[in-house]
Amino acid sequence: MLISDIQTVLPEIFLAVVGMGLLIYGVFIGDKSMRQVSWLTVFALITAAAMLYVFGSTGEPEIAMNGLFISDAFAHYAKLFILLGAALAVVMSVDFMEREQIIRFEFPILILYASLGMMMMVSANDLMSLYIALELQSLPLYVVASIRRDSLRSTEAGLKYFVLGALSSGMLLYGCSMIYGFTGSTNFDAIAAAVAAGGVSTGLVIGIVFLMAGLAFKVSAAPFHMWTPDVYEGAPTPVTALFAVAPKIAAIALFSRVMISPFGEAIEAWQQVVILISILSMALGSIAAIAQTNIKRLMAYSSIGHMGFALVGLAAGTETGIRGVMIYMAIYLFMNVGTFAIILSMRQQGRMVEGINDLAGLSKTSPGMALALTIFMFSMAGIPPLAGFFSKLYVFSAAIEAGLVTLAILGVIASVIGAFYYLRIIKVMYFDAPVEPIDDDMPRETKAIMAVTAFVTLFFFIWPSPIVDGAAQAASVLFGG
Amino acid sequence: MSIYALIVLLPLIGAFIAGFFGRSIGDRASQIVTCAGMAGALILSIMVFVQVALGGDAFTIRLFTWVISGDFVVDWALRFDTLTAVMLIVVNGVSTMVHVYSIGYMSHDDAKPRFMAYLSLFTFFMLMLVTADNLLQLFFGWEGVGLASYLLIGFWYHKDSANAAAMKAFIVNRVGDVGFALGIMAIFFLFGTVSFDEIFARAPEMVGQQFSFIGIEADALTIAAILLFIGAMGKSAQFMLHTWLPDAMEGPTPVSALIHAATMVTAGVFLVCRMSPLFEYAPLALDIVAFVGATTAIFAATVGLTQFDIKRVIAYSTCSQLGYMFFAAGVSAYGAAMFHLFTHAFFKALLFLGAGAVIHAMSDEQDMRKMGGIWKKIPITYAMMWIGSLALAGVPFFAGMYSKDIVIEAAYAAHSTIGQYAFWMGVIAAFLTAFYSWRLIIMTFHGKPRASAEVMSHIHESPNVMLIPLYVLAVGAVFSGYLGYGYFVGDEREAFWGASLFVLNDTIEAAHHVPLWVKLLPIVVGLVGIGFAYVCYMFFPIIPAISSSLFGPIYRFFYNKWYFDELYDRIFVKPSLYLGFGFWKAGDGNLIDGVGPDGVAGLTKDLSGWVSRLQSGYLYHYAFVMLVGVVIFITWYLLTLAG
Amino acid sequence: MVIQALAFYLFAGITVASAVMVVSSRNPVHSVLFLILAFFNSAGLFVLLGAEFLAMILVIVYVGAVAVLFLFVVMMLDVNVAQLRQGFLQYLPIGMLVGIVLLMELALIGGAWVLTPEIEAALGQPIPPVTEVTNTEALGQVIYTHYVYLFQAAGLILLVAMIGAIVLTLRTREGVKRQSISKQNAKQRSEAVTVVKVPTGEGM
Repeated sequence: MLISDIQTVLPEIFLAVVGMGLLIYGVFIGDKSMRQVSWLTVFALITAAAMLYVFGSTGEPEIAMNGLFISDAFAHYAKLFILLGAALAVVMSVDFMEREQIIRFEFPILILYASLGMMMMVSANDLMSLYIALELQSLPLYVVASIRRDSLRSTEAGLKYFVLGALSSGMLLYGCSMIYGFTGSTNFDAIAAAVAAGGVSTGLVIGIVFLMAGLAFKVSAAPFHMWTPDVYEGAPTPVTALFAVAPKIAAIALFSRVMISPFGEAIEAWQQVVILISILSMALGSIAAIAQTNIKRLMAYSSIGHMGFALVGLAAGTETGIRGVMIYMAIYLFMNVGTFAIILSMRQQGRMVEGINDLAGLSKTSPGMALALTIFMFSMAGIPPLAGFFSKLYVFSAAIEAGLVTLAILGVIASVIGAFYYLRIIKVMYFDAPVEPIDDDMPRETKAIMAVTAFVTLFFFIWPSPIVDGAAQAASVLFGG
Repeated sequence: MSIYALIVLLPLIGAFIAGFFGRSIGDRASQIVTCAGMAGALILSIMVFVQVALGGDAFTIRLFTWVISGDFVVDWALRFDTLTAVMLIVVNGVSTMVHVYSIGYMSHDDAKPRFMAYLSLFTFFMLMLVTADNLLQLFFGWEGVGLASYLLIGFWYHKDSANAAAMKAFIVNRVGDVGFALGIMAIFFLFGTVSFDEIFARAPEMVGQQFSFIGIEADALTIAAILLFIGAMGKSAQFMLHTWLPDAMEGPTPVSALIHAATMVTAGVFLVCRMSPLFEYAPLALDIVAFVGATTAIFAATVGLTQFDIKRVIAYSTCSQLGYMFFAAGVSAYGAAMFHLFTHAFFKALLFLGAGAVIHAMSDEQDMRKMGGIWKKIPITYAMMWIGSLALAGVPFFAGMYSKDIVIEAAYAAHSTIGQYAFWMGVIAAFLTAFYSWRLIIMTFHGKPRASAEVMSHIHESPNVMLIPLYVLAVGAVFSGYLGYGYFVGDEREAFWGASLFVLNDTIEAAHHVPLWVKLLPIVVGLVGIGFAYVCYMFFPIIPAISSSLFGPIYRFFYNKWYFDELYDRIFVKPSLYLGFGFWKAGDGNLIDGVGPDGVAGLTKDLSGWVSRLQSGYLYHYAFVMLVGVVIFITWYLLTLAG
Repeated sequence: MVIQALAFYLFAGITVASAVMVVSSRNPVHSVLFLILAFFNSAGLFVLLGAEFLAMILVIVYVGAVAVLFLFVVMMLDVNVAQLRQGFLQYLPIGMLVGIVLLMELALIGGAWVLTPEIEAALGQPIPPVTEVTNTEALGQVIYTHYVYLFQAAGLILLVAMIGAIVLTLRTREGVKRQSISKQNAKQRSEAVTVVKVPTGEGM
């Protein structure tokens, strides 16, 4: 291990050390330190993001830690949005947790370690580091899902997530072992070389399929999505907000890297499966959401659908496809964080509500909130000129370029069906008579997050280059550009 | 940008102010603004007329580019040549008079600003139409006047009959407009442009070009010209597409005078004249124009004989006179067509406004059978109606004689079968015109009063604001023929028209050398017609009753307007209603909605419920689905790719 | 070689069979005991591979700690087996079907397993040959050098697991007296003892 290695991994080391420091601080001060620990965590996450650019500004691929870790523009791009998503989730959680009497200083620390795991995921350059990172990401998430340990729903959610997560890890490990067996290495570069030299054997493909099953579980793509609605509904809302954003970005980025970097040559082996997963997810996300009455469950199906759309870009298997995926995830982050900022503020006389019908007449009681939610819903439905339209445009056009016209058409159909339930929320807000008004006491930070994300969603088209160029750079580095 | 662009813009500004701010600025201000706008436009139009028509200095103002799409470039441009200048005088002259007249006529109405705004808006569109530099801009004006016509016919929207008439006018015009639109497309297809200058310059090259239209190989120019003429037929209420015009009389009378007598309905004639370089190279199309025109002239005249609604009589008369204009154009006597258009605008507007004054005086009564014996109570209106009718009947030295005679002479001079047909139809129609005009005057003003005593007691002469426009138009009806003859069709015509009209065979020149009996015949039949009307309605009122029972079938045929409405109702309206109903219920309701939105939505909802039931909440179900998913993917791979 | 092969199939067979018994036996205590048997046989497989260190660790950690813990929990919790096994038979046929399909597919590739020479060359060998250093030593040589990243990350996972266990289970119950040594040491005499003057002969 060299100094340069440490420099490459410095943001991760920083987070790990800060996490331990905060843990000690929290233990000494007790649960009343939660607010401080939370803000310190946010600060640490932002600092880590800044360090990415201070120490790895070139974006040139740097392989460290004996080939286990890679730091490149792709990882930087994904990490930036992961850290942003995690930080926003923590910010939104502070007030919520205090109101709901879930005061545990470990909560932000667990999120910090989950974020560390996500960062390591996107930087994995070896099946072993992939697995370890995945577990480091998953374990804190299992815990935070059931952080409201006296609530049956919350613990059930955590337990379900844990058991199914273990199953998916098992599949992933099984896949890894088969890949190792058929290529003789766990290192991505070595695997790529073996695939290039030895071709794709059936056993390798089965290993890849198992690996994909594990990854698809993490992105909650159908048919590995079953945990998502239950966990989204059961977990406390800030946790759901986190689940919906940061791990998804990490898992999609990891998915993309694993498919492109070691198995880029074996595209015909996995393309079909990605297409199938993508179609299933889009269809299920669109169709199943229609019957939902709980907005968190609805967001679960929505995220399943969105993952399907993002995977359309991966199915293309081209540089523009990966660029589309990366743009999709960035825009997805803004839309989802904003939506959850609103869901977090859904209270009637101080009591949390989660029903879609509780939004009735929101346009009259809190017009600002209704307007923001309208922007997010329109954007998710993919209505131009909102950001969600462009994210879909990028992945669909990539798919068409790659000759996957049917997939693109199915995607468009799915998004039309999906538009139904997004528009239904708008209809409920604007045309239904309010039963009981939503409290108008949104915390300042949440309000700011809602406003900023709505602004980004609304005006993405004016200046898309920061996201689009970043994504293009990230995609090109994956293709050895 | 030249100041002349204001000719078009002033009415628009007036319409805008009166339309959007009429409520806040009040009735009086709206009337002043719109009338002032029109007066300004009229003054500028006269200046244009002097400069362009008399001075021979045609010009075009290019405002800005409207459409650029590949090779398809369209400008907003105002083309001022003699043809446009003449139309400007007609449109702005009559429109200004009608604006002023409306102040009086609509004095009891609640929505004066709206009315004034519509009038000005109509004028704007009409001006766009006549100043158009290309077919697309012309089409814009064309549709715009259709819209304004719709709004004005249905101005009294609380009347069902007005709404129905407005819709009828709009829908019948659709038929023509489809033709027009196809014509524009055909021209763009042929010439690759819609700009007049380029089309005209290249028209001779296109002679003999073949063109496949609805499976028929035909002469391209002929097809294009006929399609354009179908548009003109719709707008100018020619035979077969005339049914909307009489119904359009549901609108306020000033509207009838402006739109359905002087300006909009003449747009078809204007179009044919404007496109004369094209029509000249399509002789078959010209023959069709002449035939349709002549048929309309006689058809409308026969129907006019039997109607009792004072405005409908004048409406059929308009229809008939438009027929004259078309057959003049059809025999290449475009100058004569425009001349008749010019004089007709004055005397027909005068007649309509006079009729309006009568209706106003008779407490909104339009049925001539309930009038009579009022000439002494409203002598000025009576005189004005006389002047208008004299001009219409073609009595010597009134405007109508000059223009109608040259039209009929030109038809004779064409020396073609169609020309002969048009000539004789024109002569007979001239007789009928004179006859029904005096039938109208006698039934309305003479004889015993047939109205109720209460109505009779209210009869009064119209206010000056309504009479002054009548005087102005009367002057036009008397002198426009005499003054215009030399320029429009006389010796100075070539200098006058310049490049704006194009003829291969100068029929008008030939028309000056026809035998004397041809020249005298229209005048003689006109005078005979007047005399005959006196005999029938003044001296022996029994004759009409006897003849209508004697020639019962023919009378009923005429009275029922040749059964066109019934025919169309049977052929087009009912079947399309049934078809529409069928499409609605079976096609749209059951098939498209049932399978489409409702079916798909229902299916989606069912699927959604089904998928939700899968989400049982049991861990082992979830785990099972995951495992099955993996197995299916592997099987899929083994079966498709590796297999 | 024959003995080695025989030993492999013996260990492997017993491992699979005991794994089946883990899920199918009626008594949860029996299940745990079969699990221990499976661990032992797996350790035997490690020994066959020459990884005696892993074999020992497996026995010590899994059998000695994890399995005993399991046994302890199972006995303490009084798991209602009948309830847990509800639906087991109901889903058995379809579960078997899926399992058999997967098994056949895996057998299919197992049969066609061919390694290209390039891959064979790249196949991992213990970094120093086994003859030179012992298994344990070889592992020790790489785990803090080449694989320090994984080692540290695994440590973090354990840390998180610890935090999680505490977060989810540690409760501070009301009304429970705990010993606080610092508090005891800091106590002053004046806080604990009051001197009361008792007049003689009158009692409290």
